[in-house]
Amino acid sequence: MTLKSTTYPEGTVRALLSTNLVTEATRQVLTQRLTTPRQQPKFFSNDEFALLETICDRLIPQTDRPEHVPIANGIDHRLAENKSNGWRYDIMPADGDAFKLGLQGIEESALALFQRPFQQLSGAQQDEVLRAVQGKNAPGKTWDQLPADRFFEELLAEAVENYYSHPLAQEEIGYVGMADVPTWQRIGLDQLEDREPRPL
Amino acid sequence: MQHYPTNETVDAVVIGTGAGGAPLLARLARAGLKVVALEAGRHWNPARDFSTDERAQDKLFWNDERLSAGNDPLAFGANNSGVGVGGSTLHYTAYTPRAQPDDLRIRSEFGVGEDWPFGFDQIEPYYDEIEQFLGISGPSPYPWGPARQRAYALGPLPINGAGQLMERGCKKMGIRTSPAANAALSAGYYQEGVGHRPACANRGFCQAGCTTGAKASMDVTFIPLAIHHGAEIRPESFVTQLVRNSSGTIAEVVYVRNGQEERQRCRYVFLCAGTIETARLLLINGLANSSGQVGRNLMAHTALQIWGEFEEDVRPYKGIPGALISEDTHRPAGADFVGGYLLQSIGVMPVTYLSQMARGRGLWGQNLKRAASAYNHVAGINILGDCLPYEHNFLELSDEKDVRGLPKPRVYFSNGESEARMTAHADQIMRGIWAAAGARNVWAFPRNAHVIGTCRMGNNPEMAVVNAEGQSFDIPNLFISDNSTFPSALSVNPALTIMALSLRTADRFLDRKKRLEV
Ligand SMILES: Cc1cc2nc3c(=O)[nH]c(=O)nc-3n(C[C@H](O)[C@H](O)[C@H](O)COP(=O)(O)OP(=O)(O)OC[C@H]3O[C@@H](n4cnc5c(N)ncnc54)[C@H](O)[C@@H]3O)c2cc1C
Ligand code: SF4
Repeated sequence: MTLKSTTYPEGTVRALLSTNLVTEATRQVLTQRLTTPRQQPKFFSNDEFALLETICDRLIPQTDRPEHVPIANGIDHRLAENKSNGWRYDIMPADGDAFKLGLQGIEESALALFQRPFQQLSGAQQDEVLRAVQGKNAPGKTWDQLPADRFFEELLAEAVENYYSHPLAQEEIGYVGMADVPTWQRIGLDQLEDREPRPL
Repeated sequence: MQHYPTNETVDAVVIGTGAGGAPLLARLARAGLKVVALEAGRHWNPARDFSTDERAQDKLFWNDERLSAGNDPLAFGANNSGVGVGGSTLHYTAYTPRAQPDDLRIRSEFGVGEDWPFGFDQIEPYYDEIEQFLGISGPSPYPWGPARQRAYALGPLPINGAGQLMERGCKKMGIRTSPAANAALSAGYYQEGVGHRPACANRGFCQAGCTTGAKASMDVTFIPLAIHHGAEIRPESFVTQLVRNSSGTIAEVVYVRNGQEERQRCRYVFLCAGTIETARLLLINGLANSSGQVGRNLMAHTALQIWGEFEEDVRPYKGIPGALISEDTHRPAGADFVGGYLLQSIGVMPVTYLSQMARGRGLWGQNLKRAASAYNHVAGINILGDCLPYEHNFLELSDEKDVRGLPKPRVYFSNGESEARMTAHADQIMRGIWAAAGARNVWAFPRNAHVIGTCRMGNNPEMAVVNAEGQSFDIPNLFISDNSTFPSALSVNPALTIMALSLRTADRFLDRKKRLEV
């Protein structure tokens, strides 16, 4: 069941970034994120990184727009800097180990289920592997060492945080909260300011 | 700002500048004491340093890794505690309800849990003082709790979409609501020693830092007041040791600043590092734990959230996120659990919402994209409710070391029967409210919030870490003032009560010091 339309025009956040509706500090971080290209991995090997990128594309499909948000880069960057988000499930290994093991597990499950590496599977088959991991019933010895459902949860949450922090993704969902310089006065239900995008 | 040399013996060192540290810092300074606050994090200039971007504002959270164990592992970082001058108030939603008198008498009323070692009358004058000083906005009269001495300092803040929807649903259900008490200004406000703060800009970003100074975080209220009265704030100073002299009292505090170890000599120490870090510091140093209670009695509010999608445009990034409240569930009729809870509407920033949705619903692929595209139409309600202390919920030091070479804390948390029943009760009520308000695609995000109680206060030195004045039973010149001392969780958000206890601890200390008793 869907609501009215929730498809928003492109270019909204990008247009706001060059106005004085956005503070200088906000403009700086968002512009930098917008213009950071895909980069070579620092933490993962090239093979691991390519696998992670394929997985991120299944988790958060980005087909309807020419520009690509480099989700896997954000994860690689954090792990290379050995940064934490403040906590970890005690049953999980350290974040970096968990990611490496998890990628290995997904490859193992792909081979067990379809006798081919994950990246050579069809989209539907890839989704089947990922569903099995999320549902904690993926085949493979790796999952004896790593709780599959928690790994999937962590991977998905981090991918989502990376993606929806990006101005392009924020345009997709019609978010313009960064344009707060003039303050918001029309804050009630169905009250919009001129700078808030209307759905198409 | 005043600067004290480290070899001078100052009157007091305050460790941590959050809700528990900042108020007493100002109080001690006002009394003419030489006080130094050691704060692990930075002293930000919000107008310059804060952006309206959740990722960039990650810098406000305590992101040193903690290990979460038990059946209901607690999320820390953005869901729990802050770092920087102002502590977690830098990112609190600024809901500031008072506790109700019976919150302090859980054991007397239900036969389980713990009573507070004093009554409501001991806290009330401080509630009143803080509400006026911070400029808390709220309705008069406020529908729940005992009659108040004075009205809130300012009228209520405007209600956003989520608040309007909750109001609509509650009305149909026969549940009373009210604009919440919130420590953000509904009009410009001037305070002696602090200066002028502007009215809230409705930018909905309270949980990632207020750029305008409208929200009463400690860095724009009690901290400037403390500096005005001569306190020194020493930011980026991470305390690692409390060193005792031969008589067993603490003589100096060791901390790391710019990678160098420094020492500050002092007569008294006020430990205000928050529930986790206060207990961790004491355990690392093997201090103040003759009771064996440091790290125990750990509690976390039941905090279930119910989200729904609405036909109307909500744009949940606008307006004060903490807008509407109901305390009708404080002692619900026929309840099969201990204590009670309150209901609050929640506005939400997109990354926070979608990250929770990823964890809570496990959506991905096109299902995720569809659900995410409804962001502008979502609104939430959450509860905060009592939690009992249990043997199985505690903090310990793990064998794993963090980036500073200190043992990471491991925190065990599992909800008990009472919390599970309360959550089920609340689930039904909130789903009812959202159904009545016209929500679709309703989903629940189970969680606990606010970690409480690792250094319990009480009258019995075998059962508690500090006495009713916050003073360690073992080390007479050590005081604790933060969320760790609460004997019970309370059925309300904690910050206002933490601040009230902070001032009470300072006043008691000053009073006894005058009489040369400490
Ligand atoms: C997202 C979010 C929203 C919230 N909303 C509300 C709300 O609406 N209402 C409410 O009442 N409460 C709210 N809270 C909770 C509230 O912020 C905390 O309960 C309160 O700030 C805790 O106060 P405290 O003094 O115990 O600790 P803190 O405020 O966390 O202060 C502890 C300070 O000690 C410092 N410190 C720690 N260790 C060291 C060390 N070793 N050396 C030096 N310094 C150290 C830390 O950096 C920090 O500044 C919210 C919390 C979160 C996470
Ligand atoms: S909503 Fe108001 S109080 Fe909250 S961050 Fe914005 S201006 Fe500050």
